[in-house]
Amino acid sequence: MSASGRKSVSGAAVMAAFLRRDLREALTYKFSFISSLTGILLSSATFYFVAKLVPQGTPSLGPFGGDYFSFAVVGVAFAGLLGMFQEGLAAVVRSAQLSGTLEALLVTPVPVPVILFGSSLYSLLFQVVRTALHLGVALALFGLALGRINAAGVLAVGVLTVLCFLSVGVLSASFILVYKTGNPFSWIMGTVSGLLGGVVFPIALLPPWIRWISSLLPVTYALDGMRKSLLASASFAEVLPDVAALAAFDAILLPASLVAFRLAVRKAKKDGTLAHY
Amino acid sequence: MSAPPVLVAESLVKRYPVFRGFRDLILHPFGRRTVTALDGLDLEVGRGRVFCLLGPNGAGKTTLIKVLATLVLPDGGRASVAGHDVALEPGPAKNAVGYAVSDERSFYWRLTGRQNLEFFGALYGLGGPARDRRIGELLRLAGLEEAADLRFNSYSTGMRQMLAFARALLADAAILLVDEPTRSLDPQAADRVRAFLRGELAGRQGKTILWATHDLGEAADCADDIAVISRGRIRLRGPAASLAAGGRASLRQAYEKAVGESEEKP
Repeated sequence: MSASGRKSVSGAAVMAAFLRRDLREALTYKFSFISSLTGILLSSATFYFVAKLVPQGTPSLGPFGGDYFSFAVVGVAFAGLLGMFQEGLAAVVRSAQLSGTLEALLVTPVPVPVILFGSSLYSLLFQVVRTALHLGVALALFGLALGRINAAGVLAVGVLTVLCFLSVGVLSASFILVYKTGNPFSWIMGTVSGLLGGVVFPIALLPPWIRWISSLLPVTYALDGMRKSLLASASFAEVLPDVAALAAFDAILLPASLVAFRLAVRKAKKDGTLAHY
Repeated sequence: MSAPPVLVAESLVKRYPVFRGFRDLILHPFGRRTVTALDGLDLEVGRGRVFCLLGPNGAGKTTLIKVLATLVLPDGGRASVAGHDVALEPGPAKNAVGYAVSDERSFYWRLTGRQNLEFFGALYGLGGPARDRRIGELLRLAGLEEAADLRFNSYSTGMRQMLAFARALLADAAILLVDEPTRSLDPQAADRVRAFLRGELAGRQGKTILWATHDLGEAADCADDIAVISRGRIRLRGPAASLAAGGRASLRQAYEKAVGESEEKP
């Protein structure tokens, strides 16, 4: 430690600093939290009334407990969370490029991946809280029909899903570092997943010729495993195919994303465009 | 120069790719066009010196500073900071310098000056009472004590520049890189910045400063050494006392001659 009190940079202290910075900024926007809560309430209410159009026991809902409201709320709540994991990292890189803070961050001794995760930590944690609130509101006010919760299934699916979507997030951030906009991962994993991943309707309703695309999307297995574990009292063996599929996605995406990120930082430094927008 | 050099560039080369339109990409998919920012530049800056880099727009001043700050990777040659190669040892090289990023957009506008310094201080490994002491000391040095708890977006341009110096000094690095620190400042604010760099940081604290500027008068008044950079190479260098011995007019004459010759014989 030098006379100025400087010591080696601790990861926990850096993460805490990013969280404190973002919380302080968020508190200067007084109405954003209130509007976010209102959004949760309105979303739950919308699906509550739409669910009245779908009869209980619809065959395609059978594997997920049979109640459309519960099916949709779990889908929307977790899709929001996964969306934040897959787009949050790219969004913070883009935001720092546009706001001009990226260069000031990059001249500090903190490694680039730590800056990336630190910058997105608040958004990720906020989205976790938002998802919990979404499910809480649906449970308390609209009768979300939880089954006998399979905690091991929730944990396994949850951890593997987070790793998978964080990897996609790192791939997206790598793309944004080099090309700035037009992120294809966001389109594939966001827009396409919304339609084909079974967020608000079971993929069994899709025509067979298009259903195979769903099997290529990690969100399909994430939502399938989470719904079965939360709503349908499924055993761990019953969610094992989802766990295995997510583990396979992780095995490919995790190393690929780390390599891509390293190459992206190097290319941006070579081109001199690290902080360009 | 008796002191050992702490900033060194040897045959430094940097070429940036030129943006290519769709037509060019289709007609020449594997073609590559570049613009040369540094063209075999050699430079040494001794410990404790104030070294002013003069040069026209596009001469390579900012690129050199960004290479030394590890933000840009060189294509050839090598550069080192306090003995650390910027390409091979970016971590120790970053620890050895403070880069005063002057862009006012590099701060968080909705946070106060103090909160900005607290955040960046944590990234430099400062914490607890030591961090608070250091920040208090820097705010006082930068003349921002009274404005410390105001939001950054209420600061004047001069105050923002002073906060940028305070941030660059958080880690108390012995070497400071500053890129056109008096740009966009009114004459009084510019004088305060020059006095702070020359009097406080170089004079009292003995820091080494690499200072890019367009202002010949600033270089004549503040520098120990001056180099003129044009088309990516150092075209003229020497002690300020000798280059500006005949006043600003003689420095201007030498500058124009050096830049003019580089344009005739690149």
